[in-house]
Amino acid sequence: MRSVASKLLNGVLLVLGVTFISFLLMVWFGPDQTYTLIGKNASPEQIEDVRRQLGYDQPFWQRYGEYLRELATLDLGASNASGEPVRALLARTVPVSLLLMIPGFLLGNLLGIALGLTAARHRGRWGDRVVTVLSVTAMSISFLVVIIAFQVLLSTPYGLNLFPVRGWQVDGFVSYLQYVTVPTLALVFVTVGYNTRFYRALFVEEYGKDHIRTARAFGAPERLILWKHVLKNSMVPIVTRIMFSIPLVVISGSLLLESYFGIPGIGQATFEAITSGDQPVLKAVVGLTAVAFVLIQTATELLYRLLDPRVAR
Amino acid sequence: MSATVLSVRKLSVFLRDGRAEQTVVDGVSFDLAAGEVLALVGESGCGKSKTAEAIMGLLPSGLARLEADEIRLGDVNLARLGAEAMRRVRGRDLSMVFQEPMTALDPVFRVGNQLTTPFRRHRGQSRRDASNSAEAMLRRLGMPDPDRVMRRYPHELSGGMRQRVLLAMAMACRPQVLIADEPTTALDVTTQAQVLEDLVRLGQEAGTAVLLITHDLGVVAHYADRALVMQRGRIVEEAGVGDLFRAPTHDYSRALIAAARGLSG
Amino acid sequence: MNGRVETWSRLKGDPAGVAGLLIVGVFLLLAAGVWAGVLGQGWADASGGRWESPGAEHWFGTNVLGQDIFERSVYSVRTAFEIGLVVAVLSTLLGAALGALSGWYARTWVDGTVMWLKGVLDAIPFYLFVAAVAYALQGRPWAMHLAMVATFWTTTGRLVRAEVLKLRGQDFVRAARTIGLSDARILLRHVLPNTSHILLVQGTLALVAAIKTEVILSFLGLGVQDGVSWGLMLAESTQEVPAGHFANFAAASGMLFALLMGFNLLADALQDAMDPRQASL
Repeated sequence: MRSVASKLLNGVLLVLGVTFISFLLMVWFGPDQTYTLIGKNASPEQIEDVRRQLGYDQPFWQRYGEYLRELATLDLGASNASGEPVRALLARTVPVSLLLMIPGFLLGNLLGIALGLTAARHRGRWGDRVVTVLSVTAMSISFLVVIIAFQVLLSTPYGLNLFPVRGWQVDGFVSYLQYVTVPTLALVFVTVGYNTRFYRALFVEEYGKDHIRTARAFGAPERLILWKHVLKNSMVPIVTRIMFSIPLVVISGSLLLESYFGIPGIGQATFEAITSGDQPVLKAVVGLTAVAFVLIQTATELLYRLLDPRVAR
Repeated sequence: MSATVLSVRKLSVFLRDGRAEQTVVDGVSFDLAAGEVLALVGESGCGKSKTAEAIMGLLPSGLARLEADEIRLGDVNLARLGAEAMRRVRGRDLSMVFQEPMTALDPVFRVGNQLTTPFRRHRGQSRRDASNSAEAMLRRLGMPDPDRVMRRYPHELSGGMRQRVLLAMAMACRPQVLIADEPTTALDVTTQAQVLEDLVRLGQEAGTAVLLITHDLGVVAHYADRALVMQRGRIVEEAGVGDLFRAPTHDYSRALIAAARGLSG
Repeated sequence: MNGRVETWSRLKGDPAGVAGLLIVGVFLLLAAGVWAGVLGQGWADASGGRWESPGAEHWFGTNVLGQDIFERSVYSVRTAFEIGLVVAVLSTLLGAALGALSGWYARTWVDGTVMWLKGVLDAIPFYLFVAAVAYALQGRPWAMHLAMVATFWTTTGRLVRAEVLKLRGQDFVRAARTIGLSDARILLRHVLPNTSHILLVQGTLALVAAIKTEVILSFLGLGVQDGVSWGLMLAESTQEVPAGHFANFAAASGMLFALLMGFNLLADALQDAMDPRQASL
């Protein structure tokens, strides 16, 4: 019970930390929003009005407190740019981002696990070398280069011209496949190198452990060693890896993919908010990302309990 | 003379270190007679464990190379055996117990799951039969509540108990040869004697020959019939234990014995 | 931990590592040439026609403004090194310092604070953070560097913390404490030098990450503002490529790939040389 409470406390501190830093940077030190809202030729009274509305006359802690309250009650306001209520914006864009990113994210990890296993089992032989060289090569290519190249090769007349160049007109499974394939391939290509490295190292370490030697000493066939002993023991690190790379891959990756392919997800919305200085949207995104991060951490802890008998119940 | 159950001729092991190769076991030859306890003595790094791994076919394939004229177990030459056939031998006719009981068992599976494996795999027993056989084995090792032990996870048992479980697994199929590589070095002193007693006793009951690898001459004196002294990959002396201690012929053996005597005052 | 001599000899015997070192060396020379004012100086001159094909006068051709792509590519080497080196050095130092403190004072408030900071920085979406820092700096050019240093140190910090924890329990540290050496002295003179293998590899990886990140930031408009970089060239090329002009794209991505490959091979080789257990040899 005590550890649950302490984890919760950590989570709260984390959310506070994230919101504090982003509030500090974006709002406190950030640009004065007054003129973006009412233009340059306003009267002094109008300026005063807007400033009071935006809360510029309030002290720091009051404004920060206000921000936290808004987050907690999901009173997220409306976008400065479009006037759309932020909650509606989130409800519209988050599902799109999930549909876009999840296949590539999962595939990238599954492929990384498969390749890492191959490399670890054939350690020191040519299979290992080939996998290693391929991963290093993939890791040396910029995401941007991959996106541009794949778009040219798959969606333009200079290449196969099989897929739409950009956009997201999804109204069924077939159209979903059409729009999600090229971004997914790009995402897999870019993440598979790093994933393979990580998983290879993990499996090499697992294969070297004493209990694997014991299993072999009693005549266990290689397939059993892989599926029963190595994989089950690797579940905790694998889960950790997948869970903790979600923020990095899904959130940051979606920003680039959506901006480039014109997909109306939360990444694109965030990018537009960044360039236009749309604070309500940015505040919401940061706050929710922090909360998501904490939820992921908690979920991971729970999964550990299921997977590893050594973790105290 | 009783029948020779394991016959090793010119066994060498080479380890790859970057581009070069290091000879860690150099032309080792010896015989192991049925039912005897043969000690393989030497300081750490002399190649004892690699010899054992070589006999078991457990050398890391990318990094180590094996050369041998003969590793004859019964009438099968293990050195010429394919991987699949060797797999069937391990745990059934030839078993091994390792030094570190704390890490030798799979931490995510219960003890019962692991202990019943040799019974199911090599003796084709059903889950229930294997479970009974396993419990019987634990009882022979003096464990009062085998059923509870079987349901535990390895991390819930002490080092001595884990080693007993491993010993039970090794003896499950009454192998012709049991190799024990420093089986008690990692255990505390009081448990050491118990486990060694159990080991030798089980071996005798099953008619298993034991190759006991150790650096502890006290263990050699107490439990072994014959001894091989190994230095830097080679066997430098081979003698009955009594003869060895009374009149060692090689300088290195003399040094080892003198050092051990020095320690025990 | 391996001695320096063995590590060096193992590195020399690794063909991939040697290749990496050579590649990095060549690029370093190019960067030096640009710094010295000898190479790449004509990157901004509109010296040619629009979208000229590669030829004798413009080795890689020209872009939409008639600027020589070869000159721009070479100048970008300097940009890449500048960003890479600054971020790599600073983030590694920060990671070493905070990681060491965190490990040394493990399970105290010092450790707690550093871990909390690490968690917070890992949780903030990176591009948002860059943008936020850019806002806060009101247009000064080092937003990109600052944001990268502030987020890259966490990986190094985590590894250093783990290593310091391990070293803390070892005999030589206990001996040092018994003699009465101060914590700071033990950390600086005895513990941190034993993490140098981690720092070297992580520094190289941070360099790679910095260069890759700059590419994306420049594409998004959050990166290099003046001068030219491969990121900016690639951003330009996104308009050109659909029209069939690939020179800009090819040049930028080719050189970027070569440099990154060189560093990655080097990092791998360093890793293997310092800790051969993981090698795929």
